[in-house]
Amino acid sequence: MNKTININLAGIIFHLDEAAYDAFKKYLTQVKNALESQEGGAEIIADIEARIAELFSMRLEESRREVISVDDVSFVTDTLGSPEEFQDDSKEFTQTKATSNKTKKRLFRNPEEKFIGGVASGIAAYFGTDVVWIRILFLILLFFTGIGFITYVILWAVIPEAKTTAQKLQMRGEPVNLSNIEKSVKEELDGVKERFGRFREESKGTQNQIGSLLSRFGNFIINVLEAIFGFIFKFFSVILIVIGSIVGFVLLMALFGVIASTWNIGGFDFITIDGTVLGFNAAEAVLGNGIDLTLMRVGTLLALLFPILGLISLITRAAGRPLANGKILNVFGGISFFVGLAFLLYSGGQVANTFKVGATEMSTVELEGQTFDLRADLLESPEGFLFEIDDDKLRIENVRLTIKKSFDSTSTLVLKHRARGKSNSDARNRAGQFDYPIKQTGGVLSLNEYFTVPKEALYRGQELRATLYLPVGTEIFLDPSVENLLHDVENFHNMWDGEMIGHTWKMERRGLVCIDCEDVEYYNTEQVEEQIEKLEESLEEDIERKIEELEFEIKRLKEN
Amino acid sequence: MRKGILEYCILGILDSSDAYASDIISKLKEAKLIVVEGTLYPLLTRLKNAGLLEYRWEESTSGPPRKYYSLSNTGRLFQAELKMTWEELQEAVKIITTTPTES
Repeated sequence: MNKTININLAGIIFHLDEAAYDAFKKYLTQVKNALESQEGGAEIIADIEARIAELFSMRLEESRREVISVDDVSFVTDTLGSPEEFQDDSKEFTQTKATSNKTKKRLFRNPEEKFIGGVASGIAAYFGTDVVWIRILFLILLFFTGIGFITYVILWAVIPEAKTTAQKLQMRGEPVNLSNIEKSVKEELDGVKERFGRFREESKGTQNQIGSLLSRFGNFIINVLEAIFGFIFKFFSVILIVIGSIVGFVLLMALFGVIASTWNIGGFDFITIDGTVLGFNAAEAVLGNGIDLTLMRVGTLLALLFPILGLISLITRAAGRPLANGKILNVFGGISFFVGLAFLLYSGGQVANTFKVGATEMSTVELEGQTFDLRADLLESPEGFLFEIDDDKLRIENVRLTIKKSFDSTSTLVLKHRARGKSNSDARNRAGQFDYPIKQTGGVLSLNEYFTVPKEALYRGQELRATLYLPVGTEIFLDPSVENLLHDVENFHNMWDGEMIGHTWKMERRGLVCIDCEDVEYYNTEQVEEQIEKLEESLEEDIERKIEELEFEIKRLKEN
Repeated sequence: MRKGILEYCILGILDSSDAYASDIISKLKEAKLIVVEGTLYPLLTRLKNAGLLEYRWEESTSGPPRKYYSLSNTGRLFQAELKMTWEELQEAVKIITTTPTES
């Protein structure tokens, strides 16, 4: 059983088997690409399609079949010829067109050679230079000032994409040539295939020799590595470029402190940019100022060299004119990538090692009074960072506050300082280095959204978990400023933290109850409590009576 | 080299009788003037757009309706003109190639 695909050609339906469909579609696309840009191209294509339909019908009638096979398709392609062949005649025609276009070249984004939006390749086509130089220019602008990014986005938005073949011609002044790219991809695949084939033969030949196992294994490793790396290197360098660029972007932002506005990546506002060239220091906050930071910087630069060089060689290859010493560049890029990777892995490992053990220190603050006005306004909180160096301190915004019922009659604030380190004592020591000021004046309790640690302590996952224990009968007003501080505060109405702010709450036996929420039904809380108690009592009575009845019944049954 | 000649041949075929594209193709193939059919379609469209050819649709017993090409009035005039030029050229070539050169 074979699947067939229906196509409509000049108003007639044909059934093609899958292989025939693929071959035919490929051929028709080539024809379209070749003719589309010509004057009356659509009509020529329609005529050719009609002729193909005629030929197909003829073939089917001759052999009394219903389905078009690959043979039929190749008969058609042989009869009509390849697009290159029948373009010969009109060559003069297109050439004159192309040269006249060169004088009125237009700036387009190039969708066929794009890395992000095709801006660089479009500009390169416009100025007739190699796209590599434009990209390098963008990268330099990006990494050293950040202007590159903004410029790119603006250009991306402003320059239209070259969509039609005519626009592509206008952009380049030459016909679109897919065959080059196709050829290079094919060569690549053939190379890999060949190597696998060679390996298979070699391993067969040495099978019976003494000690062949070892050499076979060696051959296997070498061949497989060669094949795999050859393939990965060429085809996945694009992916590496993307990853490398993102990593590089983030890291280089970190390293050079690039400026624009606040970047929100993955929900972590961890890059703050404030208009100066020194702002960001996350890398320093984690790595310290020593050898690890230097290693990370050098490693990043070395590792970035690889995708850049890979890009250069890939593009020159796609353009059909490989660099003279492209191989050396590739090897150099590969070596620098692995050296850079080693650097990164080493310093990454060093850092990971210092996150190994966690420890918690606790401190307790006793509070006075029966009513509280909770605010988070003690110190001004800058927006959008998880941790940041501030002079000789490291500010960390990772504070969570919850409110619970106290077991005695005192109000206390319990602070759990957590930190990580390479050993238990290291972590414990770090957990002790916290600065979290608390102020109570009258009924107002002022807290902070962040705490500080000495800069030398470095960022090692420090966090602060505060619990406010309130005895029954205490009232607390949650000022809107504590919104970011509250985390999973349990309450009688099951309200979200965000809804709880701006209201006054009372700690009762059954938990926190809102006493000034308008749309909450159980406003008069004492009444409700009374009702519940009454219900419980009557229920208990009911049960007791029932038990008595049953016992009486049992007794009666036994006597009988 | 073949450019122009091929056009002249098409006009010549159509001068004697109107024809389908496939008829023109088979004649040109017989004379070994074209190898692949695809060459012809851009040419026909160009000649038609230049006003030298006209066509009408005709139903076909097998396959889709076909274009039935014929010479337009300008096409006829142009063909006659080309014929004269061609004969002149032929004559000239003949004279040059058959007359022994004196050095």
